[in-house]
Amino acid sequence: MKDAKDYQEIVPGKKRFATLVTRIFFYFIGMGMQTAYRIDPDVRKEVDSWPETFSVRIAVVGGPSMLMLKKEGVFKYLGEKEAFCCDVELWFKNIEFAYLTMTARISVPNAIYHNRQFVRGNLKYTMSFMRVLNIVQTLLLPNIIARFYIKEVPRLTFRKMVNRVITYFNLGYGAIK
Amino acid sequence: MLFKQSEVIPEYYEFFNSVKIISGYKALETIPFELGRLGAKRPIIITDKGVSQAGLIKHVVDSFAGTDTVIGAVFDETPQDSSYLVVNQIAEIYRSQGCDSIIAVGGGSSIDTAKGVNIVITENTDDLLKFMGNYRLNKPMKPFVVIPTTAGTGSEVTMVAVIANPEKKIKMEFTSDLLLPKLAVLDPRMTVSMPPKITAATGMDALTHAVEAYIGSQKNPVSDAFASAAMNLIRENLIEAVKDGGNKDVRLAMANAALLAGLAFSNSMVGIVHAAAHATGGVCRVPHGIANSILLPFGLEFYIKKSPKVKALIENLLLPLAGPEVYVQTPQVERASKSVLVIREMAGELKKLSGLPVKLSEAGVTEDKLDEIARTTIDDGAVAFSPVEVSLEEAKGILKAAF
Repeated sequence: MKDAKDYQEIVPGKKRFATLVTRIFFYFIGMGMQTAYRIDPDVRKEVDSWPETFSVRIAVVGGPSMLMLKKEGVFKYLGEKEAFCCDVELWFKNIEFAYLTMTARISVPNAIYHNRQFVRGNLKYTMSFMRVLNIVQTLLLPNIIARFYIKEVPRLTFRKMVNRVITYFNLGYGAIK
Repeated sequence: MLFKQSEVIPEYYEFFNSVKIISGYKALETIPFELGRLGAKRPIIITDKGVSQAGLIKHVVDSFAGTDTVIGAVFDETPQDSSYLVVNQIAEIYRSQGCDSIIAVGGGSSIDTAKGVNIVITENTDDLLKFMGNYRLNKPMKPFVVIPTTAGTGSEVTMVAVIANPEKKIKMEFTSDLLLPKLAVLDPRMTVSMPPKITAATGMDALTHAVEAYIGSQKNPVSDAFASAAMNLIRENLIEAVKDGGNKDVRLAMANAALLAGLAFSNSMVGIVHAAAHATGGVCRVPHGIANSILLPFGLEFYIKKSPKVKALIENLLLPLAGPEVYVQTPQVERASKSVLVIREMAGELKKLSGLPVKLSEAGVTEDKLDEIARTTIDDGAVAFSPVEVSLEEAKGILKAAF
């Protein structure tokens, strides 16, 4: 029989690739939301209905996160800044679930149905934030891909295509900056 | 998306329920023993005036006779829409009377209030806002027993509590498996005095829970089994319970149906019908059971038009809703609409027997409120679990059809 000291702890490995991909997607989503607030009237209407200095966080338990802050007429992406007690927090329980969702192997609605994520904060604002997230996903992704992420893809209009181009430009500009 | 979805087994699901269920003749008399097993000897009873005036608290108090468990206090002033002010008041009584456990006797409001009290006592706080949302509670809760006096909400087996915050004008929602009671006691003495209209409304509330759980986005084999069992019991017993309220067997069957429906929807969630019912209740103060009863057939018709996948699930509803003979005799293409028709017929029969409204206008909703109800509907958390996307215009359409 082995001695007690012969039993070693097992430190879990890091999921570096999944973490990197998730961080990149959080950047796209954050910059996408920041741009959408300026160019999309539906997003502006939703965000304007939130109180001043409203903060929203999407995060992974023990992993990366992103923070959005509404303040002084701007809806700003603040990267991975830590925030204490945001108004709405959307958490993925595991980096693997976030990675599967970001790469469309689980759609966002399925991530909700499967309890792969949980929410903290006021439900009314959470639902409003989910509507903003849906619009941003349709701005970021072509319809043929967006259908893997959201329940219903809206009809593509000329205005939407223009907004998509503006969003891609801002994403690139933000990355270079 | 990960691999091909089986029709019966979903790609992934979770099911949890840790409540011990005691149902039947003299079930109340087990409470002192069960509390003793949990180390509790001095419970507080939380209820409302309607329950105490109906003499139901006397049954509960009498069940402690011959034991050494002392009831620390009875709070019977729980309002219909409980707020954090009432929760803090009860918590103060709990502490001053040296109580060590909680017994909720009543409907959804008393049960939710008791859950709120448990949060306040366990977390030693008076600010419930900090705990809004999911997985915010980490400490083991005080021993908590629920004795439902309606056969509808299923709150005795749900992980959710909703408490109003009148200052901020919001409804605070708390979700945690720690909110589940240790014990749910179904005793026919507790529901036998329910008036016919409330029996009908709460019965239809239970039916809505079972139906939405069966077609819900988180449906799974375990919740389907509970939902089907609930629908079968409701089909066989609801009309009889309204006609002959003194029949204890039928009352117990309906209490079990409500509990089974609660087990189902607590894990597979609800959808647009509940979202619209919550909104109707919030804006126009229509009782939850009545709102669910009115909106259920219209919500199902919306799903039938919008999603072939959900339509196929509604076809399967016909078996527990109408029985095997009707199911077999109905061609498959007609089963979905027949399911809706069966529900309408049930509601119509209940209207004749008890005056249960079947339209929003009969429940006191005015047309100018429909827009506000629709806006509140899409802000309700249940919409996130709806199997189809629901826009503001579509929500208005459902409400206008139900008006």
